[in-house]
Amino acid sequence: MFGLIGHSTSFEDAKRKASLLGFDHIADGNLDVWCTAPPQLVENVEVKSAVGITIEGSYIDSCFVPEMLSRFKTARRKVLNAMELAQKKGINITALGGFTSIIFENFNLLQHKQIRNTSLNWERFTTGNTHTAWVICRQLELNAPKVGIDVHKANVAVVGATGDIGSAVCRWLTSKTGVGELIMVARQQDPLLALQKELGGGQIKTLDEALALADIVIWVASMPKTMEIDISKLKKPCLMIDGGYPKNLDEKFKGDDIHILKGGIVQFFNDIGWNMMELAEMENPQREMFACFAEAMILEFEKCHTNFSWGRNNITLEKMEFIGAASEKHGFSAIGLDKNIKPLPV
Amino acid sequence: MQTLESNKNSNLEASSDENVVNLPDFTTDEYKDAYSRINAIVIEGEQEAYDNYISIASLLPKDSEELTKLAKMELKHKRGFIACGKNLSVEADMVFAKEFFSKLHGNFQTALENENLTTCLLIQAILIEAFAISAYHVYIRVADPFAKKITQGVVNDEYLHLNYGEKWLKDNLHTCKNELIAANKANLPLIKKMLDQVAEDAAILSMDKEELMEEFMIAYQDALLEMGLDNREIARMAMAAIV
Repeated sequence: MFGLIGHSTSFEDAKRKASLLGFDHIADGNLDVWCTAPPQLVENVEVKSAVGITIEGSYIDSCFVPEMLSRFKTARRKVLNAMELAQKKGINITALGGFTSIIFENFNLLQHKQIRNTSLNWERFTTGNTHTAWVICRQLELNAPKVGIDVHKANVAVVGATGDIGSAVCRWLTSKTGVGELIMVARQQDPLLALQKELGGGQIKTLDEALALADIVIWVASMPKTMEIDISKLKKPCLMIDGGYPKNLDEKFKGDDIHILKGGIVQFFNDIGWNMMELAEMENPQREMFACFAEAMILEFEKCHTNFSWGRNNITLEKMEFIGAASEKHGFSAIGLDKNIKPLPV
Repeated sequence: MQTLESNKNSNLEASSDENVVNLPDFTTDEYKDAYSRINAIVIEGEQEAYDNYISIASLLPKDSEELTKLAKMELKHKRGFIACGKNLSVEADMVFAKEFFSKLHGNFQTALENENLTTCLLIQAILIEAFAISAYHVYIRVADPFAKKITQGVVNDEYLHLNYGEKWLKDNLHTCKNELIAANKANLPLIKKMLDQVAEDAAILSMDKEELMEEFMIAYQDALLEMGLDNREIARMAMAAIV
């Protein structure tokens, strides 16, 4: 069995969904009630892959909402309780979606292995970051030519380059894609210098410098709501891949020849027959999902029951190749730009 | 093959010191004052549980042996918690504790007189046990070392009691569902009030009210799921704790 741990995108949204699902006791409750709500196993589903393998899975809503981010203890409990539920249900491999893996990482939940009578077995969980990183790279490779950008000549900025996904993307773009110039942006200098040394290249720039130079920008850091960007300084055309969470790039960058692509989202080859991705607000909820969720499904299809993506900076090119090949084999593909975009000569 | 290697030996693996929290100072007057009431509640709760299982046995003679065994465990727990108070030189405020349980006690006695076995089991084996389990889980994280060890032993036993109630109610759900829902509506709000009443003292023991309520809802929801109720039924039952 595979598992997906998700959550609603806002408190209001969560209440509306709870009402639809019949969870009236929390639908009518205020934020304090939600803070005391147990995780809910919302749905069970059966999925058949493109090569005919059938697997079963469950979607668990942690009852976390982003409004709880300032409540450190609450957020921590929501994630750990959802993980405990997944393990108690005997799920082999569960992906931590949305803010779940961010909370796990940032609040250092590794030190909270014992939850009531359950000793959490980390090997049953994956952040899904390897697949997300691979999908973002594929999105770049497949979509840049559609808007007239030659990836082999392009300046590619990775914002959040030293994070788990960002560093993996940098490795792939350097070794596999062969982009024109890699530009790395991150808050802290030391990890940037270490990454530059590891890659044997790449430029380190500030965000403003990078945006003025980049033909393609990959965002794998959440953008502060207060950040102001002068879009007149961007190169045109420019491809922006929004790989952060939540996905809010389209609010910031609107303009001709600026192409924004939701990063790290995949499409399954067939309708799945579930309701859970309507909860995650996918455009085509019967087929689309976060790549991190798809990683748990791929690992279950492959009977690879291990914490495939775990910790920081453990994503190797070999792992990305493995998950990428398995992803395509079982019927997943990265979502692309709108099909109506006029192809431009490269 | 490197690709398939697990990360279990990652250098990010947890430190040996798990669940690190700041423990309260167990020696202050404020702590001991709060402990005198919390400790009394626990002692009285275990005594109530003993009495209640013996009473339930009178309604379920075929399970008498098992229920008597479960009851005796509660007396052992009571002795353990008396020792916890002594260890901190705290005298339990038993008058407070009797009053604390009085309404729930009254409802149990009425159900017993009317031979409403479902109500008796819901009050003792589900609500009180879930309340105890949740409080013990939260307490274990912030208890003094002596009490921590005692409570860890107790909490495992309490699951046996909860399981007994779950199993009987599951086996008889087709005939007892209506009584179960009515009894829940009458008694779950009492649990919520009891939790509110003790929140201030619990906070002095570093037990967070929100966490206590969440732990209770987890244990309670698990028990109802185990009995065979579906999500919507559980949602309706849990409403009683909120309104």
